[in-house]
Amino acid sequence: MAGYTAKFDTVTEAVMVSAGELVVEVADRAGIEIHQPCGGQGRCGRCAVRIESGRVRRRSVLRLSQADLDAGYALACQTVVEGDVSIVVPPPERIQRRLTTDHIAPESVVPEGYDPEKAQTVRRVLLSLSPPSMDDQTDDWGRVAMALRRATGVDRLEASLEQIWHLGGILRSSDWQIAVTFVAGGTEGETARLIRVQPATEAENEPLCGLAIDIGTTTVTIWLVDLTTGRVLHQASEYNQQITRGEDVISRIIYGSKGAGGDDLRALVLETINGLVEAACRRTGIDHRAIAKATIGGNSTMMHLLLGVPPESIRLEPFVTAINNWPLLRAEEVGIAMHADGVVDALPGVASYVGADITAGVLAAGLRSTPDTTLFIDVGTNGEIVLGSSEWLVTCACSAGPAFEGAGILHGMRADKGAIEEVWIDGNTYEPTCRVIGNVPPRGICGSGLISLVAEMFVTGIVDKGGHINLTLETPRVRRSVKGAEYVVAWADEAETDQDIVITRVDIDNLLRAKAAIYAGFNVLADVVSVGLESVQKVLIGGSFGKYINVEKAVGIGLLPDLPWERFDYLGNTSVRGAYLALLDREARAEIARIAASMIYIELSADNTFYEAFTSAMFLPHTDLSRFPSVAAAMTNEG
Amino acid sequence: MPVEIPKDSWPGSVNTVTLGATGDQGGSRTSTVTIGGEQSLPFMHFENPTPHRPVIAMEVAAARPADWSAVLLEAWGSTLDDPAVWARACEDAGADLIVLQFGLKGSDDGPVSAEFAVEVVKEVMDSTGLPLVVLGPGQAEIDNSILVPIADATKGERIVLGLCEEGNYRTIVAAAMANDHLVLGKTPMDVNLAKQLNILMTDMGLPLDRIVMDPTTGALGYGIEYGYSVMERLRLAALQGDAMTQLPMLVTPGVETWKTKESKVGAGIPDEWGEWAERGVNWETLTAVALIEAGADVVVLRHPQSLVRVRAAIAELTASETA
Repeated sequence: MAGYTAKFDTVTEAVMVSAGELVVEVADRAGIEIHQPCGGQGRCGRCAVRIESGRVRRRSVLRLSQADLDAGYALACQTVVEGDVSIVVPPPERIQRRLTTDHIAPESVVPEGYDPEKAQTVRRVLLSLSPPSMDDQTDDWGRVAMALRRATGVDRLEASLEQIWHLGGILRSSDWQIAVTFVAGGTEGETARLIRVQPATEAENEPLCGLAIDIGTTTVTIWLVDLTTGRVLHQASEYNQQITRGEDVISRIIYGSKGAGGDDLRALVLETINGLVEAACRRTGIDHRAIAKATIGGNSTMMHLLLGVPPESIRLEPFVTAINNWPLLRAEEVGIAMHADGVVDALPGVASYVGADITAGVLAAGLRSTPDTTLFIDVGTNGEIVLGSSEWLVTCACSAGPAFEGAGILHGMRADKGAIEEVWIDGNTYEPTCRVIGNVPPRGICGSGLISLVAEMFVTGIVDKGGHINLTLETPRVRRSVKGAEYVVAWADEAETDQDIVITRVDIDNLLRAKAAIYAGFNVLADVVSVGLESVQKVLIGGSFGKYINVEKAVGIGLLPDLPWERFDYLGNTSVRGAYLALLDREARAEIARIAASMIYIELSADNTFYEAFTSAMFLPHTDLSRFPSVAAAMTNEG
Repeated sequence: MPVEIPKDSWPGSVNTVTLGATGDQGGSRTSTVTIGGEQSLPFMHFENPTPHRPVIAMEVAAARPADWSAVLLEAWGSTLDDPAVWARACEDAGADLIVLQFGLKGSDDGPVSAEFAVEVVKEVMDSTGLPLVVLGPGQAEIDNSILVPIADATKGERIVLGLCEEGNYRTIVAAAMANDHLVLGKTPMDVNLAKQLNILMTDMGLPLDRIVMDPTTGALGYGIEYGYSVMERLRLAALQGDAMTQLPMLVTPGVETWKTKESKVGAGIPDEWGEWAERGVNWETLTAVALIEAGADVVVLRHPQSLVRVRAAIAELTASETA
């Protein structure tokens, strides 16, 4: 009988170990509690410890990367002590670190080498004018135009009448020291349009700002950007207030086509955007008149509704938009809370159901810069899917519903403070452990939390392959309520809201429908171009369901194809990211136009293949389990 | 020049399922019914013989049916008042098995109860030696409350219990597993939904050879082509080797036909429609024969005359095999 000693960094006394003992068991005797959310089954990876020295045998390393292993990490619940060992137990916040299967959206990064002089269409220059005199009776306007021409080479200048009303006063009160903000294409000798004239002293303390906006059917996101440095000063999201008039684009179009419905929808989305802009301005101390440019991504319906263009034709055969390539618009006519003469750049779409959110997304995802076959999925209320490479791009759209954004779910919420974003369930006790954004008591469940929760409920047998909750389990967490069967994720006394946070059978159905639509969409798309999904080199995921996605769990419920985890990248909200790039750089903006022109749109409603693929995917993970070999293997192991 | 008929050979086949158990087999039936086993599309006997002919089940209501067509009431007369007598009459008329259908009503117009249900099943089993399919009224809680005691009371009889549906299958499957019975699963006219229910039921540990499926069909003129197509695709998938579609199919042309206007209504219709009873029987027979040609293993009928005609049609379809 072997006898070893184990030394833990937080405990002075070494403890004796007998043969075959697991690290958790030894730790327990040393008085160290190692939390095991999955019940010690090696599924969650949260019990990782670092073996500083000595021999151990790792029965499972599924949750650890090679870098983790090189650093000495081991799962306490899966590791047998086979020698005298010295073990470091990371503090709880370190145990919270992300796993190999977690894919986190990157932070916003200013594009390398960003030079506003070259890249930006909106610029602000300081001009020192010589005051008029009896020798120089040039008019005020001519004086400004001449100085601007000298400073920038701008040949012709245009302005609104309102600008001219105030021009003389500003010139004199500023003692002829002014800052001029204007928009121009950037080529020598072309026409510029005046956005703002202000005293130079005022401009010195105020960054020149722009907005990148994504109008989602469910969620609206804005980034407030310093156009001089390219830095993102503030990011904010809110549910689109239009939700109260219908959850999907079709119901919005129907509502918008009746009476004053279009005006109502326009007012609601403007209220949402302007609420976010005002909050961003308050938070950063920036005057909304400092915002000179807004670049907007969004699906075609959202774009039509924001800009007050009747959207009916989008819904009716032959499904055409009123306009895909918008001219540059003036802020006041659009209604965004920024400088009235600021410019609004609505990005171009491809078709009725493939809008500017996707063209911007393709730019952000860098699809055209790789020769590899890449699948890009924008998981939103409308799931848009693009397959291709630098050589070709095909695209389709399918209606997933708002579940991934936490809407239409009883206790769903946006991926905000208080949202449950990941869940592990103990397979023996059915007790959950949740990670909550901001580390506060939970208020609800966001999209990534739902994916995680349903995946865990499935592997632990709380739901069957059809998504039915097994009410015969011996735990108070499964129960029948007036709304049907449900599982309690957090009890009222743990929750911020003082009520039980639950997931219901209806919620699970909504999630199943959403994931089935997305999975069916990219399957049909791949079939159309005869590309096997296994040959896809990279899967890029965009969407606003959370800050991250656990790829293993997304594969586990059959949302994503069963490919090696390293082929996936989570990009977060790609539409707003693409809008941001286009806001900064005229070349990026031109690339979006090229993307829009080169994408081939596949209509899924042309025959019943999509419906077939959809009903087949309305199952956990899929009716045809052979498409999910890794899930099948995991199920065999669990069984 | 001799004509050579091309022959398909399929990697898969339909499961063989035996309904009912005789005294030797742990039950009390005088005969059993074996269905399934097909290795080719229906009646392609030049490829493979039909291993088991399609069988005819007659529907017997546990309490006198309130909404049946007058044509059916006249055909059966007072036998409708007693399910045991009715079942005996079906056996005498040549039925292969009995489908005992419970409604929401029990004895004396009261709600159906477990005691009533067990009593009726026992009486029917005493009066006929045919295998049984027992169906609840189709409301999950009531179905479960009567099917579990029935399953317990008839252990070993290899009764087919139903309906198992996507939202309610666990209790019935568990009762069938515990008492050596079979189950009938029903899904709404979709290949994937049929497969999904079969996966869910077998995940509980019920062997595939104890499941019969009803893919849902419509009557002639009421969507029969849609049901036909789903059955055909299920059978093609089965023959191609997809285990979750390799189940024998039970369909209900009787139920479907006798709720159509053509069969149910006798007054205020054009003269050209012809004689009412004849029309109803034609409608049921044509629906049933079409579904048999789509691959049905069991057809459930209501009119005794339809039984005779469908029996004749099956004989003709298989004549060249037995000749």
